[in-house]
Amino acid sequence: MRCNKARHFLSQAMDEQLPPAETRELDAHLDDCAACREYCSDLATGRRLLKSTAPALPDSFEWRLQIKLNQALRQSAGETAYPWQETESTGRRWVGPFTTSASLGLAAVLALAMFLAPYSQTPLPVSASGNLAAGDQVAANQVSDRLPLLGTQASPFSFSGPVQRSVSREGALRIGSQPRNFGLERAWSGNPLEDLMTIQNLRLRNQRLNNQLYQYQHQIRLLRARLDRADSNGLDLGE
Amino acid sequence: MNFSREEHPYGTPAAARADLAGLRDEDLIVRVQEGERKAFDELAARYKNRLFSFILRMVKDPVLAEELTQETLIRVYIHAAKYREIARFSTWVFTIATNLVRNKMRQRSRRPLLLSLNPAPADDEMPLDPADPVADPSEEIQRRELASVINEATASIPEKYRIPFLLREVEQLSYEEIQQVTGLKLGTVRSRINRARNRFRQLVKPLLRDETLLEELEMIEARVAAEKDDPS
Repeated sequence: MRCNKARHFLSQAMDEQLPPAETRELDAHLDDCAACREYCSDLATGRRLLKSTAPALPDSFEWRLQIKLNQALRQSAGETAYPWQETESTGRRWVGPFTTSASLGLAAVLALAMFLAPYSQTPLPVSASGNLAAGDQVAANQVSDRLPLLGTQASPFSFSGPVQRSVSREGALRIGSQPRNFGLERAWSGNPLEDLMTIQNLRLRNQRLNNQLYQYQHQIRLLRARLDRADSNGLDLGE
Repeated sequence: MNFSREEHPYGTPAAARADLAGLRDEDLIVRVQEGERKAFDELAARYKNRLFSFILRMVKDPVLAEELTQETLIRVYIHAAKYREIARFSTWVFTIATNLVRNKMRQRSRRPLLLSLNPAPADDEMPLDPADPVADPSEEIQRRELASVINEATASIPEKYRIPFLLREVEQLSYEEIQQVTGLKLGTVRSRINRARNRFRQLVKPLLRDETLLEELEMIEARVAAEKDDPS
């Protein structure tokens, strides 16, 4: 057997792929050829070198993977990974619904419905416990149809506890002992265009708050991961 | 939904891990298909370093290698339903990784002039990971120097030989599995591995005669074996 052929066989023999007849032939050649024995030893050492120097990932890889996986799952579900990471093209999606003809039509119908709806002429009397007088329930319901954002007696999202409410002639709602009004000084103006602007502003404000919420959640995850690492390593972060 | 300790569907977290640790990769991926995220975590823990090691030796850039490792594992999770138990799980995973690496290298070759302003640090320039439980930092530095030389040598093997070579030498895939991953004929796989071995030997030949290095290699192997026996 020539050395070239023996070396080709050697590679297969290392992987236990050489048939028995060729293995015997190779063994006979190796007994006689010092160069091929050295070659065989080199291949074995090379394999050991490759295995022993295999790089390892840092511990932080696992939580970075979890974050990226969550992002990928959100994206595959059609959501933006994190709203503040939007690209220009995805950013348009937030504005997009306001520009389509369908949503404009819907907005027009809403505006018309508000315009045609009967206005309450008198302020609604509200008891100290926040319950409306029974006789004014119908009028309250009429108003509540146009006040879905802040809630009234009829709304499932109404505030609990003693709340002083009154509704003005224009339909604006004032809340007396509300803990926070979230910057909403008024609800509906009665002017359809103004009310549409209010809806749009509230939506944008909601998106901004959601963005902030995502950012805080992200920071909490990062801090938790750092704490976990610090706990497991027994390190003092020094911060 | 509140579960008491006894009622929890996976038992205690430690018990769940021990439970999953005894399963084959193919059983775990079936559980991932059923939506069990813990099964994916176990698979990720098993494969992350193998994938990183393979990808790093292909792309030579630790940051990019980590990204591609993440990408591979994410694809495993998202496309878990596509796995069928006609092939071993490892074959499927390395097929995904190989395709990602090939695409990335193709992109790089199309845009060779786009250089990063912040080039990735070389392996020996990376800061030591404080979590790495190495008693002697000088031993770690030596290991990194050696790894750097080996990675350089591996990276200089032409790509078409390097993929089957690494899949065989590092990942210990069988010739048939390498054939499935690469789409090559069995004879081609065999000859490419042979050529790559020969090329690698020529590149690291000076190291193979170095007595100090061989002693160091034995020390590293002993440490790796000890870590394997006692992971804590």
